[in-house]
Amino acid sequence: MDIRKVKKLIEMLEESSLAEIEIHEGEESIRISRTSSVGETVVTKGTVAPAQSRGTTSEERDTGASAPPGHVVTSPMVGTFYRAPSPGASPFVEVGVEVNVGDTLCIIEAMKMLNEIEADKAGTVRAILRENGQPVEYGDPLFIIE
Amino acid sequence: MSTRSEIVKLLKDGRFHSGTDMGRALGISRAAVCKGIKALSDLGLEIHKVSGRGYRLATPLQPLDKRRILGHLSDKGVDLQGGLDILESVDSTSRYLLEKLNAPPIQNAVCLAEVQLQGRGRRGRSWAATPYSNLMLSMAWRLQSGPAVVSGLSLAAGVAVARALDEYGVRETALKWPNDVLWKRRKLAGLLVDVTGEAAGPCFVVLGVGVNGYISEADAECIDQPWVDLQSITGETVDRNHLAAIVIAHLIRMFEAFSKNGLAAFREEWERRHLYNGKRVRLIQGDTEFQGEVEGIDETGALHIRDDGGVKKVFHSGEISMRPA
Repeated sequence: MDIRKVKKLIEMLEESSLAEIEIHEGEESIRISRTSSVGETVVTKGTVAPAQSRGTTSEERDTGASAPPGHVVTSPMVGTFYRAPSPGASPFVEVGVEVNVGDTLCIIEAMKMLNEIEADKAGTVRAILRENGQPVEYGDPLFIIE
Repeated sequence: MSTRSEIVKLLKDGRFHSGTDMGRALGISRAAVCKGIKALSDLGLEIHKVSGRGYRLATPLQPLDKRRILGHLSDKGVDLQGGLDILESVDSTSRYLLEKLNAPPIQNAVCLAEVQLQGRGRRGRSWAATPYSNLMLSMAWRLQSGPAVVSGLSLAAGVAVARALDEYGVRETALKWPNDVLWKRRKLAGLLVDVTGEAAGPCFVVLGVGVNGYISEADAECIDQPWVDLQSITGETVDRNHLAAIVIAHLIRMFEAFSKNGLAAFREEWERRHLYNGKRVRLIQGDTEFQGEVEGIDETGALHIRDDGGVKKVFHSGEISMRPA
């Protein structure tokens, strides 16, 4: 896994209210968790060197076979991330919701084009990695579906 | 056709028509005419009532007529295979096509509406349009590439609408990134594109276009930016059927060229038509503001702005305006 991706994941965790993110990509896996006592971010990963980030400690450990697989939905484009079809409307999905392939997860707006991003895997939404209205880059992780 | 549409057809000349005469012409009671007039007024159509003379529109209009639009298209050699749906009233013409797309994909299907109850602008802003007086048009298209590649379509579509307005006889239009069509710095037309499909393609695009034909004073109060309509530019009742055909023909030509060569086929013309080309602007993106000089667009349609320190930034969304002195 690319070190920049790891850094991004740490930053995302720090910005979010999530306690833990776990991602599997082929044979690699990474789990990043906030230690509950001090609110630090701890990186746990399979094969890649640990990453360092502001106010972050890192350690390396095998995630083990028991870790639940998570499918990461990434952004296919640059734009602004929106969770609902319009301001005030209810979001397309929430954490814990079951989705099917083809279900709309979010909209990414760029240049007055509203791109509906669909689930490419069925399962339960485990994490929503971006805030409504935030800019996103190509390849940014948006959702974890398990 | 509904009673409402029949009444509009009788009133379109802007002259007085008595309730009794209209009832007779339509084979309905005077009370039914009165009810129809009330419904039209509620939708935002300005109808004056003068006792002893009857009803008349505040300004004449031309109702949409499928036969005439298809006639204009056939004169241009355009064959609309996807079909043309003219709706009296719909929440949004784009949404109508998106829902229709759930059925087998329809290439170049077009939808027009006299009344749009939930016309959309960018991010939930509403699109204000006086009923029976504007052009509210959506067109569906299927593209082989994915959403990332089609980003420039939004700008190409702006060029197509500007070309259509040229052909209609309205010169001096300019574009504002990404695709607003302005006339003397006032907004004349707006576009919004809905894209669905997988990242790798193919994807389905529904392009929504709104052209201001005539905006009533009441509707104008809902618009939060400088605007203009065709009737005040030309001083004439808008020939909406002719305009619709011209816009449809230019959009089809644009989609065909874009499918082959992407934004490259439009980039130079877009830059030439851009009001803010080389100008100092302010760009607002969410809560942040950026100032600098417009350098132009890249192959994806993103806007490049250089700040006073010479640092260049690339924008994919945001609202630009002239930078105050």
